[in-house]
Amino acid sequence: MAKRYWKSLAERESAGQRSAAPEFAGTPLQVEAGRDRRGFLRAAGFTFAGAFLTACRQAPVNKAAPYLVQPEGITPGRATYYASTCAACPAGCGLLVKTRDGRPIKLEGNPDHPLSRGGLCAVGQALILGLYDSLRLKQPQARGKPATWDEVDRALAAEFETIRKNGGAVRFLSGTVASPTVRAAIARFLASFREAKHVEYDALSCSAILDAHEQTHGARLLPRYRFDRAEVIVSFDADFLGTWISPVEFTAGYSAGRRPEAGCFSWHAQIEPRMSLTGTKADRRIIVAPGEIGPMLSELAAGMESGAPGGGVTGELAKRLMDARGRSLVISGVQDVSAQAACNRINHLLGNYGATLDVEHPCYQRTGNDREVENLLRDAAAGKLAAVIVWGANPVYDLPGGEALARVPLVVSLGERMDETAAVAHYVCPDRHPLESWGDAEPASGVVGLRQPVIQPLGDTRPALESLAAWSGAPKPAYETLREQWREQVFPRQSAEKDFEAFWERSVQDGFARVEPRGVKVQPRDLSASAPDREASKAGDFDLVLYAKPGMLDGRHAYNPWLQELPDPVSKVTWDNYACLAPATAQRLGVAQGDVVRIDACGKSLELPVVIQPGQHERVVAVALGYGAKCSERFAKVRPLWLGGRSNVGANGLVGVNAAPLAAFDGGLLRYHCAAAVAKTGKKHDLACAQDHHTLSVPKKLAPSSGRTRPIVQEVALEEIGKLPPPSRGPHLELWPPDHPYTGRRWAMTVDLTACTGCSACVIACQVENNVPVAGKDEVRRSREMHWMRIDRYYSGPPEAPEVAHQPMFCQQCEHAPCETVCPVLATVHSEEGLNQQVYNRCVGTRYCANNCPYKARRFNWFEYAREDKLANMVLNPDVTVRSRGVMEKCTFCVQRIQEAKIEAKREGRRLKDGEIQTACQQSCPAQAIVFGDLNDPKSRVSLLMRSKRRYRVLEETNVRPSAGYLKLVRNRPAGKEDEHRG
Amino acid sequence: MSHRIVTILLAAGLAGSLLMLLGSISQFSLPGNQRGYEPVQPIAYSHRLHAGELQIPCLYCHFSAETSRHAGIPPAGVCMNCHRYVTSTLGALRAEDELAQKEKRQPRMIVSREIQKIYDALALNAKFEREPARRLQPVVWTKVHNLPDFVYFDHRAHVRVQVTCQTCHGPVETMERVRQISDLSMGWCVNCHREVNRAGVSGRTVHASTDCSVCHY
Repeated sequence: MAKRYWKSLAERESAGQRSAAPEFAGTPLQVEAGRDRRGFLRAAGFTFAGAFLTACRQAPVNKAAPYLVQPEGITPGRATYYASTCAACPAGCGLLVKTRDGRPIKLEGNPDHPLSRGGLCAVGQALILGLYDSLRLKQPQARGKPATWDEVDRALAAEFETIRKNGGAVRFLSGTVASPTVRAAIARFLASFREAKHVEYDALSCSAILDAHEQTHGARLLPRYRFDRAEVIVSFDADFLGTWISPVEFTAGYSAGRRPEAGCFSWHAQIEPRMSLTGTKADRRIIVAPGEIGPMLSELAAGMESGAPGGGVTGELAKRLMDARGRSLVISGVQDVSAQAACNRINHLLGNYGATLDVEHPCYQRTGNDREVENLLRDAAAGKLAAVIVWGANPVYDLPGGEALARVPLVVSLGERMDETAAVAHYVCPDRHPLESWGDAEPASGVVGLRQPVIQPLGDTRPALESLAAWSGAPKPAYETLREQWREQVFPRQSAEKDFEAFWERSVQDGFARVEPRGVKVQPRDLSASAPDREASKAGDFDLVLYAKPGMLDGRHAYNPWLQELPDPVSKVTWDNYACLAPATAQRLGVAQGDVVRIDACGKSLELPVVIQPGQHERVVAVALGYGAKCSERFAKVRPLWLGGRSNVGANGLVGVNAAPLAAFDGGLLRYHCAAAVAKTGKKHDLACAQDHHTLSVPKKLAPSSGRTRPIVQEVALEEIGKLPPPSRGPHLELWPPDHPYTGRRWAMTVDLTACTGCSACVIACQVENNVPVAGKDEVRRSREMHWMRIDRYYSGPPEAPEVAHQPMFCQQCEHAPCETVCPVLATVHSEEGLNQQVYNRCVGTRYCANNCPYKARRFNWFEYAREDKLANMVLNPDVTVRSRGVMEKCTFCVQRIQEAKIEAKREGRRLKDGEIQTACQQSCPAQAIVFGDLNDPKSRVSLLMRSKRRYRVLEETNVRPSAGYLKLVRNRPAGKEDEHRG
Repeated sequence: MSHRIVTILLAAGLAGSLLMLLGSISQFSLPGNQRGYEPVQPIAYSHRLHAGELQIPCLYCHFSAETSRHAGIPPAGVCMNCHRYVTSTLGALRAEDELAQKEKRQPRMIVSREIQKIYDALALNAKFEREPARRLQPVVWTKVHNLPDFVYFDHRAHVRVQVTCQTCHGPVETMERVRQISDLSMGWCVNCHREVNRAGVSGRTVHASTDCSVCHY
């Protein structure tokens, strides 16, 4: 019995056929002039003909201003790459910055970086747009008015002096400070105050893990998790592939351990209350209420200690884990110290410490301390603080009770934009964007990343290091502070280079340095059994779960239109946050998708639209953090493109609603779960949800009577890979003449569905590389989002506990392309190397090609999508045409990269090497799921993968002969046991 | 009835426009064809003198043509390679020398007006030192050969197979002011590609692709 896949409950109910809504939804335009179209065209025809002949004579005049003195190594038209470190989140992945004409236009992962290994997540890719952001402050602000740095420094010097005299309490509040240089600078600054403290916090807190290790290992640290060494991974509500600590690093490790052809395949169990990105990849998914996780961990620990694992779910997990001692990993994202301590105990019993968990060489990607920030807020509210300086954090927005900061007599913000915290700050001293700054980061002990500026600062901003130095009374440029720190602290920790200058040059070139880890002496103690976690309070029918989306994290990137329009990998909703409810719960409440409900929790209330989330626990209502941020006000000004269009922002003038006030400090930890009540309001909200867009399934009237559905996603159980037949070579009978000989190269791409986690890094990478516009919320409602690469998310199985498959879908570059035959002007033709070419200047906008595409991969420019922001236009890739209204576009296999590589190889007189051309999506994928190359080269990676038994083509039966192959999704569970899934 | 009147009026308007255009019918070319474009440049640089008489190779100044898509206009630094020493024409220098001899004095440095523009751009003083007080003023040339934004022409590929510059740019070494000789239309490019696929470039076989995506992406 073949598996049936469905993208939404509506599709599932209509027996797997496409939803009734027309494919190209929209309102037909009424033409008034001439009372009918013929009249209008007649009148227009004559006038235009006359005007045309007289008007077009001279092309616009173009100027060219070359360098006066051309710097060595810079060739106009060629990109220069610099290594740096990403700062989109504290994970500190390695970066390669592609610059053209003195400015960065694309970020890539650094393949040599030991942690991220060349991957870069969606948020990291989108970081570049934050550089060219008109919302960034261009100069410091003093008491609400623009000021100069001198004025601000003088005023602050006076204020700090007063505080020193009075012995006032000063706090430096920041996010996780990954940079040892900044940490030292902060310490130097605070040293001059009698009562001063550096408080770090994370909006997505892992404070419980740190506290638990203090309890069990004697040091407050976060271990380095080695997913690549784990054969059994059990995650208790830790979204390690999506948002937990270091998703790129963990995805790289996770996918390295799941390569069926290499003979290794881990077993992954996810125990969680809601459908997270990691849960979509799990081999075994157990849906529990949030309050059950702690007791489960304690039970598991107790069972393993006693040696009698018992039965049920914990028994099953224990057995799997004990069979993989030293090669397993148990992690938890729960903010509860006793639960985390139980987790530590389990890992200790399994001998994982030292193997898959490294506490002697910890990671510094989360160093926040919830207890300290709670005390800070309490002190602020009580008026005990004289000054708070905030850097790299937005506490007024993302902490419950963060508004207390407004009570502090002196608040200084070092933020880049006028966010909620800067709005209450008395002095705003804007920091430079990471791409304009010198800096460093030590994400894991022994790996120190360097950050270098790749563009002159765009405004009168000052690096935080310089501000701190100035306020410490010893002004020094950031570059010198950094070099000094490296000379004194980093250089001595290595012995390969004897000369500091040589070491520095090499480190700047590489983007990181590997040095002796800062070993931590751990003393395992108190690993004895502790009391199990208290049961979740039964008050309220619901458990509110606050989570972060992989595309928005904690809201620090709410200004970014790319990330706002990125469909959430699980729910596929854009431009909003919402209340996720399980299907049965929604039915019980009598709400459908889009109905607005009121959630009352922790004494506060929120109104949000409902999204039905299959696979969620029935008691849970899940709301995403990171929305309702002040920086999203700007999207109100992005005008709807036509009169009937609706705004991107909601009634509150912002995109989404801020759910952070619903978190709460409890026992010194920021808790993201609490009891809640959910009630209907009767209001409706039109969500811009992309899940039913561009469906590949068959419309109802064409569906076969057998009820069979198209095998768009194909799966295979791990044990059955050997039984797979060799990949098909396609049907033998051909109506087409052999008109594509491919005498030279033949481009092809494979996507490994097993490796793909759905993280959508490729979607944003493609958007940056190919100048794909942002269409806006209203256009997304009409299925007009412009992403060339999209991730289709398919559910299968029962709605209460489905399995999930992600399938990246893009133009398949079909050999017998249905789009090529129907273009009336031949704007889309086949190249001699196998690409389906889209010629923008030839296209007249018939849209017949999009109609014919079985993969729905083509995107039409319905409007002149907004490009008025000249500053944001600096990110446009000069190698890709910017399309105007009326032109069709689609994935081109990054033909601009192919052309560049071909011509360079020709210039150097050599052949192209396999792997030399990497498409944007391939280069960014943290799991390396995408492989591109020359199919005519039998030794290329793509040829090998195309010959794999797991390879199939989507909609192969239509005989369009796509150049893209997909490798079947492998699940590590017994074949045919789809139903044995729910815990 | 009203339809007919509108039609007649518009037809009359069209006829009127056509009559007005009859006068300039000889200058007619398709929109976008800029053959004969010879704009005035900020510095009256003569290719006839430098490339023709002095026989400086094209790639000495337009070195980017070998390594980049754009041939580029040389940075002022390249001009200074020679013009650090060459300040005026030989005739003018000789005349000054003779005058100086006659007047029994040292010959003054003569700087021709056009060459002085390079020195001004680089904010150089009489001793060829950079004056920090004066602003640098990059020379803003007017591009003569313009292709639309949706065309990506790459010089590298053509220079590599030894297509001479004159093939497309005409006898630049005879031009006082650079003039567009070819019409640079797509048909003109494709014809040449087809021709060299058949006949080669100077006898060497080449493969000049006629795929759309080699130029349009």
